Amino acid sequence: MHKVFISLVFLLTVFFAKAQYPGYTPVSDPAKFKVDFSVATQKATSIKSDFTQEKNMAMLSEKIISKGKFWFKKESQVRMEYSQPYQYLMILNKDKVYVKDGQKENKISTSSNKIFQQINKLMIDCMQGTALNNPDFTTRVFENKNMAMVELTPVTKVLKKLFKSINIVVDKKDFSVSTIDMIEISGDNTLMRFINKELNVSIADSLFIIK
Amino acid sequence: MSASRIRYLLLSSSLLYLLACSPAYRQMQPATGDVSTLQKFKPAFGTALYRTRVDVVGNHLSGLLLIKKMPDSSLRLVFSNEMGFTFFDFEFATNGNFKVYSVVKQMNKKAVLKTLRKDFELILMQRLGNTTTAIRKNNASIYYVFQQTKGYNYYITDSTGNTLVQMERVSKKKAVVEAIMKDYTNGIPDTIGITHKTFNFTIGLKRIEQ
Repeated sequence: MHKVFISLVFLLTVFFAKAQYPGYTPVSDPAKFKVDFSVATQKATSIKSDFTQEKNMAMLSEKIISKGKFWFKKESQVRMEYSQPYQYLMILNKDKVYVKDGQKENKISTSSNKIFQQINKLMIDCMQGTALNNPDFTTRVFENKNMAMVELTPVTKVLKKLFKSINIVVDKKDFSVSTIDMIEISGDNTLMRFINKELNVSIADSLFIIK
Repeated sequence: MSASRIRYLLLSSSLLYLLACSPAYRQMQPATGDVSTLQKFKPAFGTALYRTRVDVVGNHLSGLLLIKKMPDSSLRLVFSNEMGFTFFDFEFATNGNFKVYSVVKQMNKKAVLKTLRKDFELILMQRLGNTTTAIRKNNASIYYVFQQTKGYNYYITDSTGNTLVQMERVSKKKAVVEAIMKDYTNGIPDTIGITHKTFNFTIGLKRIEQ
């Protein structure tokens, strides 16, 4: 009876996972995945990439597509430059955030802003491969032949009000981030795709300086 | 005296009081005119995306405002930051109803929502045909005055009526909000600006093409 119950739970889990994320099944050994993910991302000291960002507004049947360039460098440095259809620069450097919107510059200390602090940590975690250890989320991992998807479900009060889940798809060959899908409570989502990725290239520290 | 006549007299006297009290409008004369002339300034939104900058008491906020006309002719306004996160999603129905689909906690305050509602109602110009008007003019401008639940909305054109110079939200004694819409393309303004006069709050919209 016990075995039948376990089998039933397993089958239901697989069924619902498939239904939720077509083409993906739960990873058979999440602990091994976590180790592999961590080891692979430890080797990545920098990432340079182009990105496209697609915000989908389900109820309005509208989407907003933006494009730009992305840089990541250990430890905890991210630069995102939006170039289309607007100019916008954001630099994350440890616990500081700098944004430049046209001529307007703004510096934010994440230590004094809980939302920025958690989003900052999430972005860094995605790149450093430490997202699976982030206590702000519960995690489930799914996979197909080439990709793995980490589903992060917020547990903190602040993030729970903002996101239903954040799904990160990584390429299994090098565990580099392929997409980040931020799904809001309303059902709207923002999908960021990282393309033309270059790992472990030389990136100047000056790109991340917050004056 | 009938109730409707009393209402008319009260309304007329309150409009006169307003116009008499406000120094900027002291020199204006009552005028006749066609309110429908304002219809050409009413934004003909289908779908429009605006780069948006908000400055409020020393804080700067930027993002994108999507305005979309829905099949029932209501307008949806969705404001999100550059990374896609939604700050608010509002609906302005043609009958004057206002619905909040979503709003972040920091903005979910009665006074904030009321201010944003009134500001956007001023520029969306959805209910010009449904409220009582008075028309005044001076040498340079024609003022179309629309009574609101509290205060008035003013639409100010040049003396020919061909250019929308400014819009105002006016309390009993003074303009509390000034707004502009200009550089129309296919009936949609390229630039929209809203400036509060009683505290430091501005909204700037510049249309962008995707």
